[in-house]
Amino acid sequence: MLAVFKREFLSYFKNPTGYVAIALYSFLAGYIFVNKFAGGTVNLSSEIISMRSYFLIIVPIITMGLFAEDKRRGTDIIYYTSPVSIFSVVLGKFLAAMSLFFIMFLNVFAHMFVTASYGGVVDVGTWGSVIVYFFLAALFVSIGIFASSITDTQIISAIVSFVILLSITAIDRFASNISSSLASIFSSFGLSSEKVNTICEKAEKAVNWLNPITKTSGFRSGIFSVAPLVFCFSTTLVFLFLTYRVLEKKRWAQ
Amino acid sequence: MIQINNLVKYYGDKKAVNGISFSVNKGEVLGFLGPNGAGKSTTMNIITGYLSSTSGTVKVNGHDILEEPEEAKKCIGYLPEIPPLYTDMTVLEYLRFICDIKGVDKSKRKEMLARILAMVRIVDVSDRMIGNLSKGYKQRVGIAQALVGDPEILILDEPTVGLDPNQILEIRKLIRSLAKNHTVILSSHILSEVQAVCDRVVIINKGRVAAIDTITDLAKRLSGTSKMLLAFKGPVKAVCSSLHSIPGVNSVNTRISDNEIHEVEIGINNNTSGDIRSSIFFTMAKGGWPILEFRSLDPTLEEIFLSITNGV
Repeated sequence: MLAVFKREFLSYFKNPTGYVAIALYSFLAGYIFVNKFAGGTVNLSSEIISMRSYFLIIVPIITMGLFAEDKRRGTDIIYYTSPVSIFSVVLGKFLAAMSLFFIMFLNVFAHMFVTASYGGVVDVGTWGSVIVYFFLAALFVSIGIFASSITDTQIISAIVSFVILLSITAIDRFASNISSSLASIFSSFGLSSEKVNTICEKAEKAVNWLNPITKTSGFRSGIFSVAPLVFCFSTTLVFLFLTYRVLEKKRWAQ
Repeated sequence: MIQINNLVKYYGDKKAVNGISFSVNKGEVLGFLGPNGAGKSTTMNIITGYLSSTSGTVKVNGHDILEEPEEAKKCIGYLPEIPPLYTDMTVLEYLRFICDIKGVDKSKRKEMLARILAMVRIVDVSDRMIGNLSKGYKQRVGIAQALVGDPEILILDEPTVGLDPNQILEIRKLIRSLAKNHTVILSSHILSEVQAVCDRVVIINKGRVAAIDTITDLAKRLSGTSKMLLAFKGPVKAVCSSLHSIPGVNSVNTRISDNEIHEVEIGINNNTSGDIRSSIFFTMAKGGWPILEFRSLDPTLEEIFLSITNGV
């Protein structure tokens, strides 16, 4: 696992990917921070949450090559024919991508340090946002890795993970769309508006249950709970496990 | 060392490997010969654990590749058809990475890498990016990769494909030197290559084993049908009939024939006593027909296939 981690992590810096990702991140985070800082009111939680929207672009870019490129080059054969388990390979690549995330996030730590040294607010809510940030990053990276394992073309991998990530960030909009269309259907059946309302509320809630973003929204105001973190963590594991199965399937394909 | 028992592999409806069985003894160099698409690479991929078989078993050093994959894979160094190289690493970085993946002891690493680099002669390029190396060097790095961890068995899939003649000779020399300490399986579709390095040959065709034999026995099998090429000036019909009358000549076929120069293929039965070549020469001399070219035709792989598949 460590060997794979080391290789993948270093390979981010053998081509422009790692540098571009870090530079872009530093620029965007720095821009947000400096603007707020100049205005005199720094809100680190909202900075961290804004940086989460950067996931949509950065995750596909840093994960697309992880397995797709190995398959294209034929280097995946190294892992299949060596005495290592494929799951440890998956974990190694996952950790490499996460480490790049951590390096990018050092920007925000610097901003936190500056804010604190100027007497600004670095409170429980800020730390809550940091925790959520990493759990969501892990979840999104695992989806990106999964997308990379199902194809041997980097671009297709990037598109697939972009579409999945985009749908996750739009779950709340899906939910309200579904509930409003359900409302129009049920009211045409002549149900009382009270019943229609409860049905729609429940439907919206059910769809939104899948949303890791609303689940973890309490953290920024300092309301910590374990359930959302378990949700993110286990979904991450599910995607890593799926990746592992996809890779193993290649061996067994008939 | 390796026991392969009734291996079958389907790709969809296509049967790529159809009941292959053979075994490889310790210290032997086994040639794995067959035309393109015969199932060579598939079989090698199954032996190394890259693919699974549909049915049948592979045992490496007594370890089943599916039941104890890690133990079995430790004994094998594999050079696939396309060397699995990370082009963005230097040779040394890449080999260190392979050491990590194969779990080579840190204390042995330095000495082993130095030995491998010297053996495959890539010391000069060890700090260069793999992507910038020539094809021959890449192939050597691929062989170096297979040697990491000192596996007892080396499996080389068409190691000389796409190399220039000098490089081919060097790689063959390298394989022969490796054969001293390793059991080697080498696949190829070039007969002379297998002849040059292998002790024993497995010929497969359409997913089946067509023949398993030593090179000398294989040559004997073919000896009944060896051929000579003769180019001469003179009347074709008269020459052909007098050639026919030489004892031991089975057939005379005209290959090329223009006004003056003719080329015939003479089928020879090698079991007759005496050297037929001198009889042919004297026959031609007696008739006053000048010989322009006279040589034996090496059997091509296709001819071996024909003779083997027709003979069995």
